[in-house]
Amino acid sequence: MKTEKIIIDPTLSSFFSIKEILRYKSLLGNLAKRDFLVRYKQAYIGIVWALFKPLISILIFGYIASKINNGASTASNFMYVSSALLLWQLFSNIFNDVSNSILGNANLFSKVYFPKIIIPISTILVCLVDFFISLIILVVLFIVSGQPLHWQIIFAPLFILLTVLNGFGIGLYFATINVKYRDVKFIVPVIIQFGMYVSPVIFSTKYYLDRVPAYMHWLFCLNPMVGAIDGFKYCLFGGDAIYNLNYFFLSIFVSFLCLFIGIKYFFKFERSFVDYI
Amino acid sequence: MLNKSFAPQSDTLYGTFLNRLKNLKQVAKKKETEEFWALRDVSFEIKQGDRVGIIGRNGAGKSTLLKILSRITPPTTGRIELGGRVASLLEVGTGFHGDLSGRENIYLNGSILGMTQKEITKKFDEIIAFAEIEKFLDTPVKRYSSGMYVRLAFAVAAHLEPDILIVDEVLAVGDASFQEKCLGKMKDVSREGRTVLFVSHNMASLTNLCSQGIVLQKGKIDLPLSDIHTAVNHYLQLAQKQALIDLKNRTDRDGEGKIRLISFSTYDQNDSAIDIMITGNKVIFKINYECINNPNPTGITVAIAIYGSDGTLFSVLGNEFSSRAFATIPQQGTFSCVLEKLPVTSGSYIINLAVSQNGIMQDWVQEAAKIVIEDGDYYGTGKIVPSTHRSILIENNWGVNEA
Repeated sequence: MKTEKIIIDPTLSSFFSIKEILRYKSLLGNLAKRDFLVRYKQAYIGIVWALFKPLISILIFGYIASKINNGASTASNFMYVSSALLLWQLFSNIFNDVSNSILGNANLFSKVYFPKIIIPISTILVCLVDFFISLIILVVLFIVSGQPLHWQIIFAPLFILLTVLNGFGIGLYFATINVKYRDVKFIVPVIIQFGMYVSPVIFSTKYYLDRVPAYMHWLFCLNPMVGAIDGFKYCLFGGDAIYNLNYFFLSIFVSFLCLFIGIKYFFKFERSFVDYI
Repeated sequence: MLNKSFAPQSDTLYGTFLNRLKNLKQVAKKKETEEFWALRDVSFEIKQGDRVGIIGRNGAGKSTLLKILSRITPPTTGRIELGGRVASLLEVGTGFHGDLSGRENIYLNGSILGMTQKEITKKFDEIIAFAEIEKFLDTPVKRYSSGMYVRLAFAVAAHLEPDILIVDEVLAVGDASFQEKCLGKMKDVSREGRTVLFVSHNMASLTNLCSQGIVLQKGKIDLPLSDIHTAVNHYLQLAQKQALIDLKNRTDRDGEGKIRLISFSTYDQNDSAIDIMITGNKVIFKINYECINNPNPTGITVAIAIYGSDGTLFSVLGNEFSSRAFATIPQQGTFSCVLEKLPVTSGSYIINLAVSQNGIMQDWVQEAAKIVIEDGDYYGTGKIVPSTHRSILIENNWGVNEA
């Protein structure tokens, strides 16, 4: 029998341990599987619903966008908005689900030990499955509209990853607060709703920045989703999606800052979650 | 030809389950300023392969201790060393989802308990055989009977292979034969050299399963690691002492607290208070209570549980069973329970009291009182059943016929 030693001491803060996560990888998979299976159980058309939600918002916002002159043709405007919207939905789903994940699974970790970070990570997996299903819509739209492909498209996954990290980092921060203050449940949807209108989803970054004084431009780019969405658009459509390289990197820097703070904050309080649930 | 082998014994720190708990666990209750030490200066060491019972009353800190050992909540100060993989069963079926099938739940629950996908697959057939649910493997567990549900849940847990197994009172589930099966399974576990820590209120299963015991009282160790029989006796004596404390001054009570039991007393057929009851006589148990911030008490059930001084349950008297729940009760008053003919032989007994409102426990006091019974003429024949064993007397009529 191999013996290992586990030390339990009062240290409250812990930190990200890839080894611990790998050890519980079957839990990770099974939790994600549970969330996915349970969502569409006893629903007649089951997983087709995963296509419906993004499709409907794409049609609505795409139509609105095609009526707005973004300085491009109606068709490419529609594509612009659809791609940004999908990425925004990925972010908002992860942000929302991660921030509720800890509280929603309190019944598990108040009875059994496992690294709690497994819960938000499994949440991401579920959101990613949804995202890849709705990505089908985008691919179909691309083919139908006859958009030319750019070489940069190979970097598109990087910006999907950046979006995931944004949702994860910010979500973790709110998940931690949520353990003690249930107000989070009400605040997060407000942030998501408001956030969409200060991100380059319907309008481009250029459109926003042209309408605020120059000295406030950096403020807009503190939004970590600006970099992710603009980068993604650049990969798909090329052109001037990235309005200003400095602001683009500022936004990406904010992304990583959020991720760092989120993880740090989560692990600072992780061990005491049970005492507040 | 005989073959014999011994499992390697370790009397060094290597491979032992070593604990150093000091000034453990400070749980702030309600107001942040009101500190409450759920465990204090608890320190013990358990060797590999030992089966240790942790005994204590409600609020003694058993659950907190198990939660700390299971790494669910951290200690405030102190340190624990665990020499191996730990699995804790603080409840059965953690994470079971009603919409998922038996098969899916086995994987989910198994992985929550720390098994890898491969381990679960390996044990899968054993688990379903143990749970006896082969036919319903792909049925959502919400359609299971409660017995099937519990069997499946325990079956997964029973097939864990940790070095150290921590079990809270989860054996109090399922029917008697399944409980027997679970106890057997847990004994097997410890025979394989695994260490078992077990919490229970059932003295019989404690002595059955464990070789040693620790008694906790108010967050402190009252009796350090000793032989299980010594520990159980120590606990029972403690219980007797507790029962002498005035009911209203007791702080170790459970429940929501909207109804509070103030005193317990016994009366004879003339409605005068008595200290000693006589077998076969009419006895009235009276429990004074008061409602606290509870303007509309409805659906009230009261229960009196009678235990022998060795901790075996004799009987539970409850209005819920013998008549019905009280639709409503006055703000202050007295519950009374009349026994026309006390059927218990001489000895001293421990009383647990509980009161619930619409099924929600309001006040539950273990070892609330101690009662003393003297032998009397139960059968009205002028003869007394010899009280070599404390027992319950049952009316019976005899005859004899020619063959």
